[in-house]
Amino acid sequence: MNSTTEEILLDSRLHDVKRAIASLHAPASVEAALVASFRDRTRHARRPRLWWIPPLALAATIALVSWMVRGPMTAAPALDAREDPGPFLALRPLERIALEPSTTVVATEFPRALLAEWGLPVSPERAGEPVRAEMLYSADGEPLAIRLVN
Amino acid sequence: MDMPPVNPQPELALLARMRRGDEEAFVALYRKHCDAVYRMALLYCGSTAAAADVTQDTFMHFMTRPDQYDGTRGTVGSWLCGVARNLARKAAGHREEPTDPEALADDTALHDAHIEHETPLERLLADERAEKVRLCLAAIAPHYRDVLILCELSELSYAEAAQLCGIEIGTVRSRLSRARTQLAQHLAREGLLIGRRAAEAP
Repeated sequence: MNSTTEEILLDSRLHDVKRAIASLHAPASVEAALVASFRDRTRHARRPRLWWIPPLALAATIALVSWMVRGPMTAAPALDAREDPGPFLALRPLERIALEPSTTVVATEFPRALLAEWGLPVSPERAGEPVRAEMLYSADGEPLAIRLVN
Repeated sequence: MDMPPVNPQPELALLARMRRGDEEAFVALYRKHCDAVYRMALLYCGSTAAAADVTQDTFMHFMTRPDQYDGTRGTVGSWLCGVARNLARKAAGHREEPTDPEALADDTALHDAHIEHETPLERLLADERAEKVRLCLAAIAPHYRDVLILCELSELSYAEAAQLCGIEIGTVRSRLSRARTQLAQHLAREGLLIGRRAAEAP
């Protein structure tokens, strides 16, 4: 047998294998398993995008609650320090105040209408509202000066 | 075998959708290539169960590492065949003797140790003659069988086979030629290279 005939026969035999193997298909179970894996992976792939929300919500809740519980005790001085109410308004002559040997500052709250008695302007609509102020008193309790806190 | 160029765009579009988690795109790509991958795995492994495992592992790899596919270096089909080839060779590795690279430099002098002695026993093909040819194919040296499966039976181009095997195209051609010679010797020994007329002659 010459080499050309052998080549033709060899091609023919390889073609037999190709034809026979062409009738074989991947088992359906492989596709089912892969699709299940794909779904599983897709579901897991989406999960990490939101994983941080529950811990963040928990941390925010803890921070808020701790601020609400502990805030007033620590925040009050800071608030006072932050709020600069400005200078006192004299209710008595400055010479009289300067001669006073000892004075006391007292934080207080009173109806806004009381400001009118010391000659300070009061809006009639807000006359009933309380007002926070710091009062400078003389040693015998006489109001010398006032400064409004808010 | 040189194949006509195909438009890669539809497949690349499917791949992009698959990467975004589109199940339909994955299934479409699987159905397009699964049989070619399975058949190639069958030829390497010689077992339907092992071929099914290799097919599943190949597409699991595709699903989990689609970024490894480089569209500039070939089609999705040839890349999948490359993954399947590596997995199938690994699965069949226990049956194959390692080939010395120095011996491959002059692979005309084929040492007997490079030939696989243990052939797969499972009958894969219904056609008796085709099954005998397959068993002869399984009996030739692994590095020759490799190019024969890729170029002759899986219809990859020489360039694709060269890329998958990590060898030059010229080496693919020479190995293919020697693979055919070896296969012809095995077929002749089995009386499978006799033409119909010669077989009928007294």
